[in-house]
Formats: sequence, structure tokens, C-alpha cells
Amino acid sequence: MKSVGERVPKLDAADKAAGKARYVQDLRLPGMLEAKVLRSTVPHGRIVSVDVSEAWKVRGVRAILTAKDIPAKAWGYAKDTTALKGDRVRRIGDELAAVAATDIEAAIEACERIKVVIEPLPAVYDIEATLAPGAPVLHESKGSNLVQTHHYEHGDVAAAFAKAAKVVEGTFTLPAQQHAALGPVGAVAEWDANGRLTLHDPTQIPFLVQRDLAEALDISPADLRIVQPAIGGAFGARLDLYPHEAIAALLARKAGAPVRLLFSRDEDFQTDPVRPRTIVKLRTAAAADGTLLARDADILVDCGAYVSWGSMTPVVMVNTFGNFYQCPAAKFRARTVWTNTQPTGAFRGFGNPELLFAVETQMDELARALKLDPIEFRLKNANRPEEVTPAGGRITSCGFKEVLEAVKAKLKRPAAPAEPHLKRGIGVAAVFHVGGGARIYRSDGCGATVKVDDFGKATVIVGATDIGQGMETAMAQIAAEELGIPVSMVRVATQADTDVRPWDVGVHASRTTFIAGNAVRLAAKEAKKQIEDARAALKLPPDAPVDKVVRAEHFRQKGRLISASAFYDPPTSMVDKANHGNVSAAYTWGCHGVEVEVDVETGQAVVKRVVAAHDVGRAINPMLVEGQIEGGVVQGLGYAMFEECVLKDGRMQNGFFLDYRIPGIKDVPDIETVLVETGDPEGPFGAKGIGEAPIVPIGPAIANAIADATGVRMREFPMTPERVWRELRNSR
Amino acid sequence: MREFRYEEPRSVDEAIALLAKPGRNRVMAGGTDLLVRLKRREWTVDTVINLKRIPGLRGIEDRKDHVFVGALTHLDEIGRSELLASRWPFLRETVHEMGSPQVRAMSTVGGNLCNASPAADMAPPLLCLDAVMVARGPLGERTVPLTAFFAGPGKTVLAPGEILTGIRIPPAPAKGCFIKFCTRRAMDLAFVSVAAAKVGSDVRLALGAVAPTPIRVPPSVEEAVKRCSPIDDVRASAEYRREIVRVLVRRALAKVAP
Repeated sequence: MKSVGERVPKLDAADKAAGKARYVQDLRLPGMLEAKVLRSTVPHGRIVSVDVSEAWKVRGVRAILTAKDIPAKAWGYAKDTTALKGDRVRRIGDELAAVAATDIEAAIEACERIKVVIEPLPAVYDIEATLAPGAPVLHESKGSNLVQTHHYEHGDVAAAFAKAAKVVEGTFTLPAQQHAALGPVGAVAEWDANGRLTLHDPTQIPFLVQRDLAEALDISPADLRIVQPAIGGAFGARLDLYPHEAIAALLARKAGAPVRLLFSRDEDFQTDPVRPRTIVKLRTAAAADGTLLARDADILVDCGAYVSWGSMTPVVMVNTFGNFYQCPAAKFRARTVWTNTQPTGAFRGFGNPELLFAVETQMDELARALKLDPIEFRLKNANRPEEVTPAGGRITSCGFKEVLEAVKAKLKRPAAPAEPHLKRGIGVAAVFHVGGGARIYRSDGCGATVKVDDFGKATVIVGATDIGQGMETAMAQIAAEELGIPVSMVRVATQADTDVRPWDVGVHASRTTFIAGNAVRLAAKEAKKQIEDARAALKLPPDAPVDKVVRAEHFRQKGRLISASAFYDPPTSMVDKANHGNVSAAYTWGCHGVEVEVDVETGQAVVKRVVAAHDVGRAINPMLVEGQIEGGVVQGLGYAMFEECVLKDGRMQNGFFLDYRIPGIKDVPDIETVLVETGDPEGPFGAKGIGEAPIVPIGPAIANAIADATGVRMREFPMTPERVWRELRNSR
Repeated sequence: MREFRYEEPRSVDEAIALLAKPGRNRVMAGGTDLLVRLKRREWTVDTVINLKRIPGLRGIEDRKDHVFVGALTHLDEIGRSELLASRWPFLRETVHEMGSPQVRAMSTVGGNLCNASPAADMAPPLLCLDAVMVARGPLGERTVPLTAFFAGPGKTVLAPGEILTGIRIPPAPAKGCFIKFCTRRAMDLAFVSVAAAKVGSDVRLALGAVAPTPIRVPPSVEEAVKRCSPIDDVRASAEYRREIVRVLVRRALAKVAP
């Protein structure tokens, strides 16, 4: 291997570091207008009137829209939202009107002059209270605030609990988490004279937005082109169609000029989707010898006011619940609910961090109760290679044993500190996650084209999206390896739009390296064959350089260009009605070991050291894999220790980076990464997806370490100093 | 950000004259608080008066009967000053608990104090050192002890048209410490801060973020807990803040007067 396995620096790193990468906030089109959305300050109410007459008097205003001016089309998974709201608002931040003007100050002033009358209705914010009889119903046509119930079961759960030597149970409470991507939310829309729309949009799903936005705008998807600028992070936040995308397009059409709609950071905090607030009630049972017997979960997940991907987190939870560890009996119920709060969306890990906080805490509790080493207890119940799980998961490569053993070898119990108020402890937690795509749509595929030009340079045109994770670099390495040329001779056409790129379902579920990587590998392999066939047919010597072969092949009568396309869709199935099935072509395991120091007088817990071992199949680029693991650890540490949307009467109280704390560099502990390379049979060069798994186990590993240090069991995130202090006080 | 007029006076008198003009006028030092508030549209300002071009407002000087710190001295200059470190090493520790290197390179000691946040990090150590504020306004120059400078959250006793020009610190060296309690280990606002100093045999104590202003309190755990009046907010509960005062004061006093 010459390119795969190399620590190639990210190809886009220099431009990003030098400020040359163009993000949505850098786009300037000739004649471009700026847009602002007027949002509801009332969490639930009937819209009586929206009067825009005064707003037109602001100089520079070019277009104003209210619900009356746009197609009355509901969209979304539950068809429960529209771009602008006409009769009802259901959360603070609901879109009431939008203005495009020659500058942003004029657009803001015009919004301030719009007179809105809303008759308030009773509102509900609590995810348990929203299901109580008599709670205000958000969407009356749906009958109640229950969106959906997900069920799963295998084995005889009641019998298993009855015979168990030890049962632990608890309720785990998880907050809404903000994606807090550096890049602002926004889109730039422009229409040509033929009525065709180009949307510059840092979305994760360009081809699905093409379909869904066309439907919302009542135009043909053929007349819509999605161009993705450089994306300043997404983490799942850009995985759906959102009102601002439609509003930008509608304003641009009305104004007859390009329109840019860019969120302020406050707007991002208050209105963009978040990781759902979740409550997990879990019981776990084990036999005296440490054999896992059964699990029983009852879960509540917030959708916010409108259904987006937050509602589907139980689908990933159930996948883990039915597959992770050899657990002979399992029962699962998850209900998703509407509340008068900001909609919830996909977020790295997608339900798995929420569920595994509970599962991995109870694995620790059981190990302690049964006087077993937490890693030995997990090893005893670990999944093995070539196993078919009760949920129908087909496990192929499996490095669970190896990641557990790696942490066991590297995590040592620290010496007790001299100061009596400081206590140190260690904890571990493991993760199971999809690593070979996830078939949540009918297709989990991606297309790729590889062409090789007269100069020996290969261009990769792939449906996949780079959101900062390193898709561009990984694809270049895979193509270079297959073609036998250096990475410096490969370009990935990241600027290409939906008119040029072959279809892809989107960047989510840790799927890109695996799925797009296989598509690129197949296309490169075919291009390489074309080159070698030409070399043979033209009787060129084996050492003739690639560029010479390519030129010779087309500078002739009946010549050909070197270009090959491929489509890869993994051998998986969607789950059946009972949530059984094999949704991924490969699965990954990881284990985190953590050392914490707790100040028992103040409750402040500081993570000193992390060992993060992951089964990555094969590292296409070890440096990027380490970056993904470190990034996941830090983002998961934020979720576990700092981050929380504090709501009061439906409004986020801390929607600003001062009080919404993401970890800073000084909060990042020493992180030692261990890459376990199991060589997956289906993955490109053996690789498996690793984007999400590292965010999952860090939280429960910290909680388990806090329990080890202090004896106090934390069952709510974030584990702030005050929360730990209260638990310490209550335990005395 | 709404539009505003922008002025760069070259003397304190010119700045005072600009400040006295009708309208909502604000002086700007480092801008690290002002610009954030303007961008968030929390404040509406007609004129921003940038003080940075005025000579003589920045720098640290030994004036024998006191050390003078110009109001526009950047926080990182406080942190780097050998003069300050030789007498009051805990001022350097304090500065290192504030913002980031980028923020410290822009923000000023005068701005930190005049912003009058109850959590202003420079306040507790300077309160312990009996610092005196020097202000100039239309009626001339006057001095105010720091203990009498803060009037409430975001409020000082500076009269309209008055500008803080510097801080006088009495020359006696002191052993001291500053303990800032916050969730993150940097780039965070204190929900409790404690400074303690021993000047000669005199032990002094000051608290931040647990009263409407930073306060000087008698040097005992009981007095500190009795005199603080913390609030419940999104950062922490009053009950917890009071407990943290108890813990941190005990630790701070043990450090300076074991």
C-alpha cells in the first residue's frame, strides 16, 4: 500500500487555515440582497394578523413574504411544518414573515416594523407532561402530542429478570445539545431568467434537498441545482430541509435578485435543531457469574414543535439495544413527543450517546455489584466476529475484545492526590455503532466517477459531502491507491454541484468512507483497467507513464477517454416492523477509559486522561481517524460535562457561547487513541466508519470514573460541579 | 450591528468634550465587551469614542508613593509586568485566568473595571490592594477608592462625562492569591471568585460574582458567607455559590495566612 494507511495532511486544511476556503458567509453575488426572518416570541398561539405595511417604508426593502404569499405546502416526515406559519405558532422562533433588503440593517428594521398579533395558547415544554391528559395539543389533527412509539423485543424478558442474581435500574436524563458548529447557518438563492433555481447551501443532503425543496416550492427538481460551499461543520444539523432554505428561495424569486439568508448566532442557538432531550428508564439483569441476562428500556424523546430527525433517534437506539453484547432477552419502548420547543434533529451518534449513558452505567453498576472487573464483565458478554444477533444483525469483523483489552492495558489506577479534598478514579464504557452505512432510506448508495486526464491527473467526482470530516482526503487516498498514482495527482471535485455529481443519500451515519469509498474504489479500479487495456492494445511499454498512455489512447482515430463510473449500495436491509434486520454492512466497537479528579468540596470533576480504543477496520488515514476520535471525545465531553439548553417558558436562557459552554482547549484532557485494525471484508481496503462512535462512550466512562472516585452515581448530563456537589451532599 | 458615529480623540479633554455632546455616547477601550453588546443589539449607541489614540493612558509606572496603571493598559501587559509581579505576583495569576491570549491582548484593566460586572476578575485583587481610581471629567480630576467605585451591576460612580484615566496602587508589596471558580478551565465567567492578600500583617479578602458588585469583606469564612448575597441564575444557584464562597475563602486564607 502506497497511499492507503498514510498520514496525508487534510487536503483542504491549508485553505481553511489561511482563510481562503469559501463558506456560505463568504459568498457575494452581484446584486445580492440580505434577508431576515421575523420570528415568534410567543411559544404557542393563534396568529391573528401579520401587518407588513410599515415594513415596506424602510429604505432598501425589496421583498416581504408572509404565509399568504407562499405555496401552502406542509413538508417534513410528519408533514407538520411550512416555511412561514400562517395560522399558528408552536414555539419561540417560528417563522412569521421574511424580508429581503439591500443591506441587513434595513432587513432587520423592516422586521421590527411588522405588526404581529398572536393570541397566546397554553403551552407545554416538559417531555413527560406533554403526554398527560389535558396537556395542550400542538397539532390538533394528530389527536395528541405522541408522535410515534417504537417497540422491540427478543427473548423472555420477564423470566430473565425473575431468575437474575442482580438487577439494577435507574432513570437517566439527557439535555438538548447544540451542534455549535463554527460555520453559521444560511443559504444563498438565485434564479435564472428561465426560472431555474440555484441554491448555495451547506447541506448534508444535497440530493434530498433537491427533491424536498422542489416539492415545497412547487417546482420541478430538474429546475433546482444545489451547490455546497465549504461547510463549517454540521454534525447532523443540516440533515433535513429547513424553513430558511425555502424562505431564501422564495424571497429571491419575489425580489428578482439573489438573496442571502444568514442566521445570527443567537438565531442558530434559539431555532436550529438540537439533540433531543431524552429520558431513558432502564433495567438490566445479570447472573451471579456475570452473564448478562436481560435489558428493559422505556424511553421518551423530544421532537420539539415539528418532527425532524430527532424523532428517529429510537431507530439507532434500538439497533444498539438489540445487537450490543450477547444479551439473550431485551425489551424496548420509545415514545417520541411534540412540545412547544425548538425542533430536534440528528446529532453525531444519533440516539446512541443517550441510550448508552444508561446501558454502560448499568454495566458498571452490575460489575461492581457482582465484584467483577468492569472490563472482564464486558469481555464475558462481548459480541464475537461472525455472529448473528437476535435482532438480525450480521456481525462480520469485530474488534470488541481487542478494544477492551487495549483499554485494560493502558488505563492504570492513579495514585491518590495529597490534598484530601481531591479524589481520583477511573472508569470505562464501550460503544457499538454502525460502521458500514445505515439503511434508513430505501437506498444507502453513492455514485462516483473517476477520470484520468492528459497530464496523468485523476479527478474524482463523487456524490459524497465533506463536512470537515476529511472525505476529500480519504477519497483521494483510495483513488490514488487503486490507480497506482500519488495522492498529489488526484483531485476531488468538492465544488461540483448536484448537476455534475452522481447521486448520494447524504453525509450521515458514519457512512462516507465506507460507502463513497467503495464507490470511488470501484470506479478507480475500472479506470485503471481502461488504462492497462489501452497500454496493452497500443503496445506501450509497462513503464510508460500514465499521462502518455492516456494521450495515446485518445489522440487517435476512434480514441477513448479514460473515465469510469460506479455505484455502491451495501448488502443490507431496512428493519422490519418489529425493528429486526441488518441495517449496516459492518459494525464498529470502541472502548474509552477515563481518569478523573473530583474536588469533593466543590463537586468539580476534571477529566485528566482518556484512552480511546476503536475498531476502525482499517485506517485509510490514521491522522484523520485520530482527529475524528479526538473530536468525538471532546464533543462528547462537552455533552457530558458542560452543555445544556436551559429552557424557561420555552425560551433558551443560555443561547450564547458565554453561557452555552463547549469545551475549550484547556478542558481537553490528554487523549491516547488506539486504532484496532480488524480489516473488514466489505469495507474499502478493510475500512469501517468512525465518525460517530467516539462521541458515544466518553460520557458514561466519565460518570463511571466519578462513581469510582466518590461513590456517587451521576444519572443526568451535564455533570456540572453543582450537580455533582448535590449528589455528594445527598449521599452523605 | 446598527450604524454609529466613531470618534478617535487625541486627548482626554477632547474625549470628555465628545462624551458631553447630546446623544447616547460611549467610550471604548479594548472593545471586548462593547462590540459584543453592539453586535447583539443589546445597546444602542450614537457615538463610539475610542480612547486608544490618547497618549498617556496606557502603561505601568512606579511613582514612589504608588504604582500607576493607566486605564488603557492591556490585561496581557499587566500579566507581563515585572514591576507588578515583583510586588504583587497574584496579579499575574489573575490575568492568566481571564479570557484568552487574544482577548487579553485587546482588553484593558480600565474596561474590566468600568464595565462593572459583579464578576470582573481584576476587581477582587485590586480591592485587596486598596487601589484608588483616578477619573477626569468636565469638572477636573478626582480620585475614588475602588471600594467605593462600583454602584451596582454595570454601574460605577463615574459621573456623566467622566473617564477613568488610571489606577493607583499603594506601594506595599503583598502576598496574595486569586481563585476563580467556573465550569471551564479558561474562557469562562466566574460564578464565584475570591482574592486574598497579606499586606504586612494585614490580611484582606475580596469576593466577586456573589453580590451586585465585587466586594471587600472581613477576612474570615463566616464574615464572607454572611456578607455575600449571591443570586440564582443560569450559571449556578445562590445556595451553591454560598457554599463555594465557604470553600474558596477557607482555601484562600490558608494560602496567604497559614
